[in-house]
This record gives sequence, structure tokens and C-alpha cells, in this order.
Amino acid sequence: MIAIREPKDFAEVFKYLGELRREVGTAEFLRICFNLGKEPSAAGTWWKLCLVLGAASGLFVLTMLITVGHASFNTSSDGINWGIAISTYVFFALTSSGLTMIAALPLVFGFRQFQPVAKRCIYLAIITLVAGFSVLALELGHPFRMLWAMPTGMQVQSPMFWMGVFYSIDLVLLIWKFYLIWQEDWDSPLAHLLGAASFVCVIFASGMLGMVFGSVAMRPMWFGSFTSIYYMLTAALSGAAAIVVTSYMAYDFNRNRMPEPLKALAESPDLPKVFATLIGIALVMILTRFWTGLWSNLDGMEGFHALVRDPLFHAEVWLGLALPFWMMLSPSMQTQPGKQLIAAFLVLGAMFINRYEFIVGGQIVPMFKGNWVSSLISYTPSLTEWALTVFGFAMALGLYALGEKVFHLSAVPDQAVYPEPAKA
Amino acid sequence: MAKWGMVIDLEKCTGCQACTMACGMENSRLPGEHWQDVIFYNEGEYPSPQVKWFPRPCMQCENPSCVAVCPVRATYKNEDGVVLVDWERCIGCKYCMVACPYGVRFYTEEKPAYGGPDMKQVFKGEQGRSWNPPWRMPDSKEDWKHGVGVQPHDVVSKCTFCYHRVSKAPKGTADLDPSNPALREFTPACVVTCAPSARFFGDLSNPNSEVSKMIGNKNGVRLLDHLGNKPQVYYLTGVGGAVPSNRATNKA
Repeated sequence: MIAIREPKDFAEVFKYLGELRREVGTAEFLRICFNLGKEPSAAGTWWKLCLVLGAASGLFVLTMLITVGHASFNTSSDGINWGIAISTYVFFALTSSGLTMIAALPLVFGFRQFQPVAKRCIYLAIITLVAGFSVLALELGHPFRMLWAMPTGMQVQSPMFWMGVFYSIDLVLLIWKFYLIWQEDWDSPLAHLLGAASFVCVIFASGMLGMVFGSVAMRPMWFGSFTSIYYMLTAALSGAAAIVVTSYMAYDFNRNRMPEPLKALAESPDLPKVFATLIGIALVMILTRFWTGLWSNLDGMEGFHALVRDPLFHAEVWLGLALPFWMMLSPSMQTQPGKQLIAAFLVLGAMFINRYEFIVGGQIVPMFKGNWVSSLISYTPSLTEWALTVFGFAMALGLYALGEKVFHLSAVPDQAVYPEPAKA
Repeated sequence: MAKWGMVIDLEKCTGCQACTMACGMENSRLPGEHWQDVIFYNEGEYPSPQVKWFPRPCMQCENPSCVAVCPVRATYKNEDGVVLVDWERCIGCKYCMVACPYGVRFYTEEKPAYGGPDMKQVFKGEQGRSWNPPWRMPDSKEDWKHGVGVQPHDVVSKCTFCYHRVSKAPKGTADLDPSNPALREFTPACVVTCAPSARFFGDLSNPNSEVSKMIGNKNGVRLLDHLGNKPQVYYLTGVGGAVPSNRATNKA
């Protein structure tokens, strides 16, 4: 019987797939590929769902882009320039950065109790970044032109240029780092160097993504160095939420199926404490941002008044952040698997709303359009834009399921010694 | 090198939108996509409401934020002080649109700004053009490196100060005065067509140009000057004119 898990390289993958096809025939081979294995599994179910969802949404987006072009988006020169596609990209890019930050806890800062999630974090950071880049590429007018125009232009004044530079370096470092962990190299000097470089890189990358918005003085709802800090810290929060959700997802939302090291981490209050701290920081930052926004009479800040009247904003703050904050602080709830999962799902949802509300909300005050656009701009994403968002999520989740099936994402170094988990 | 700039006398401007139409015809603009526009806005409340209008081309800023943010250097400021877009470099990221305080940049691929029919579908584009307007400029004048002509798909466009006309002006010209037959064909279309002669165009770096003198003698002011972009378009307000102090949004 042929089986594959943790192949040494891609050659081994293709060799295995070729042999499998010869052994079972093409039809059966395709069925196995669609099911992501011969036996049903949690990863296989997610893979199938995402394959269907991704193919449907991706084909729809491509058809619309080919037949109608970007006019199928509800963005406009007199309205919202950057819509939900950009906020989805930002959501994925920052989640990726956050996952790298969480991975840095054991890999850079020596908190070994977080080692069971390190490999999964790195893998997820890669695929969320790839999903984000894919959504961005479909939003851009000329994505392929960017590949030569950016390095030949060298516009070092542009935050977007540096965002591209740092996220590209980040992706390379992440893949390299994952390769080393795949080869079970956790502790070599190169592995440590890569871990540290990768951490520094995502700090710059997420900060520079914040600066894309924070550097534009004519958009006062975004302007200021606060935005970079806000992006870095909320990135860590969405990374923490993503790793909790996916760790449970890998074991069919059942903690008892987890391997011992991961189970020990899930049962200890360490991760909930980190999680609660990050939610608390995000809440304080949102409070101060809206406080100054609502207080200020500065031209262009009127959008804050509209945002607080939006039910989505309240869903984000109360349901998506305050409730999980309380759940993860409470000693009786913080280690319960159900509560951890609900908190993580709510926070992920809140972060998605947060990116949307930040990016679209920052543009709702019209930019010198007079009575042609005399009130705050209303924007609803088009079906194509929603499909692009769904495509991004299907891609991230599908690739995650694939990784879960092929790699041992809960792997820990053999010689690892775990501190006794703290009791709740 | 000249430093081209414009002076608009708001006391003379009647808000007739002839400049907007002339610009649209000269530069093959889509209906509703006004590189040059006259913004109408109202300020104040009863019993002192004010209805105003304000001609607004691209400000061709000295410190253009659109140039600084463009990640691929597609937007640039040429040697004569004009901000241009290279349509063969633009990747359509729209960062320049987000960063422009004056809202004077336009993305090609959008739903019709005026409600339809979609002119891009009625006059389908050929040879890479996003559409094929029946009144477009001669092919020989089209210049995508400088953002002149009918733009290709998925790029950002903007007022070029009629680069295809102004760049042909004799070197050392102080003012491009449309009343001078020798200079008329080099003068921007909005300046040529302005019936009350509210627009003036010349070299801001030349102390003998009329535009320099007008700015100095008649207190030329710039739009949203506090942002530091330093527009090369100045306004003369006189007694009856006014430059909006903010985004001209209805705050009532």
C-alpha cells in the first residue's frame, strides 16, 4: 500500500502521485484527490468544500473580469477607491504577519510551550499570504506589470513599494523556514537566524502596510503613526485567533484527538492569556481611535460618526472583541475548548469587519467632490467583489486542509522538553 | 525649464462648465470623468446659505502626494512641472487616487459615472484603448508615456495641463495667452475656451510672466494649502470669490 506523509521533497510527491494513479486507475485517482485521501477525514471535508467553493467563486470572478473587467466592482473614482478586495487582502496579510509573530514566541523568544503550534503557524502564514496576494492580484489593474515596474521604478518614497518589498522577503523567509522545520531542523544557527529575520521582517511588513494608510495626510481617519502600530498589534491578534481555530479544525474540533504536546498547550491557560492580552490591546486601540475621531472637528473625520452608527461596528466591538476578551480572561472559561473556539471565531470575524471598516470607513468622506457627492459615500460590495473574498477564503482554507493532510503540522522537535502546563 | 502654472480669477468665473466640456473633447474623456470640473457646493445655513462654484483642474502640485505614493513610478513630475501618468507603467493600484487631496484622478474601469448608457460598450475600444470615442484626438498626438489620449484599460488618468499642446510651446515663453494667435494652439483647452477669460496660463518661475505678477499683486491663494502639496494652480478671490476651506462637503 502506498502512503505519503511528510514527503522529503516535491519529487517524492509527484512520484507517489504517479504510482498511485497507475495503481488505482485515473478515475479512482481523481476521486482520491478530490477527497484528499482514501479515507474520509476532517481535512478532506474542508478540502472538498473549499475546492468547490474556490472553483465556483474563482470562475465567476474570472468570467466577470474577462467580460466586464473591473467595472464589475462597485468601487469608483467619485466614491470608494479601495473596496472589500483590499480589505480582504489586508485581513490576510495581517493574519499572516500575526501568525509569524505567534510562531516567533517559541522560535525566537524561547517560549517552548508554544512549540506545538509553531509549524502550523508558519504554514498558515505562507498560505494566508498567498491567498492575500491572490486577491490583491485580481483587484489590481495590471498585476503582471507590477512584477517588472516595481523593481525598475524603485520608488523608495512609496510605502506601498516597501510593503511589497517586505512582504515578498517575508514570503521567501517563511517558505525557507517551513522547509527547515519540515526537515526537522529546529535548532540550527540557520534556523534561529531565519526565525529572527522572519520576525523582524513581519514587523516591518505589517508596519509598512499600516503606513500605506497612515502616511496620507489628506485622509485624516487614517493619518498618523498610530496606524502602523495598530496594524502590527491587531495583526498579532488575528494570527492568534487563526491558530486557535485551525488547531481545533485539524482535529475535527475535538481536543481529545490532539497529540499530547498540542493538547497540553490547548488545556493550559498560556494561549488564552496571550489571546486575551492581544484582544485587550486591540480594544484599547479602537477606543482611543474612536475617541479622538468622534471628538475632533477636523474636516474629514465625519466618517467616525457614521461608523459608530453602523451595526457592524458594534458587532465587531461588543460581540467580536469584548465578549471573547471576557471569555479568555475568565479562569473558568479560558481553557474550555468550546469557549476557546467561539472566542477565536468571533475574533476572526471581528478582525475581518475591522479591516473593512478601517479601509472603507476611511474613504467615506468624499474627497473634494462638492455637491456632486455631497454626503458621506455609501458603498456595498458587488457580487464580483464578494466572490473574490470567498475565493480568498476558499483558497486559504483549502490549502490549509491540503497542508494538514500532507504535513505533520503539529510536529515538535524530538528533544523538546515541555514545562509543566500552568493550571487554570 | 518652465514651471507651468495656472491662475483662475474666481470673480470672473461664471461656472458655465465650458472648460469642462472643452477638456472632455480635447482629451477624449468619458462623460462624467472630468479631468477639469467646476465643483458646485454650498456653505452656511439659513438665513445665510451660500451657493458657490469652483473650477478645479489638477493642481499639478509642487509636492505631489500622488507621485510620492506611486509604487512603480508611473506617476511623475516632468521637467516643466507637470504631473503626468505613464500609462505603460501604471498597474492600476489606485493609491494615487487615494492620496490625492483634490479628487482629480480617475480609474478607467468603472460603471458609468452618469448612470449610463456605458460609452465604453457603445464605442468599443480598439488597439488597446479602453474605448473609442468618435471625437478622439488624432492618433499622432496620442502619447501614453505622458498620459495623453484615450487611455488603455485598467490605468489611472488625470489632467495633463494639455501636455500635447503646452510641450510644443516655444522655449522661454512667459505666458501662453490664447488671445495671441501665435500661442493659441499651445495653450490648454480650458484656458482657450474660457468665455469670460477667467483663466491664465504661464511660467511661474518667470518673474516677468503675467501669472507671476497676478499671484503677487492680487493675492493668489491655493486650495487646501495647509496640506503642503503646494498647488501650481492659484486662485484670485477678489471681493466676491472664495476658495473652499475644506473638502466642500455639505456639513449641514
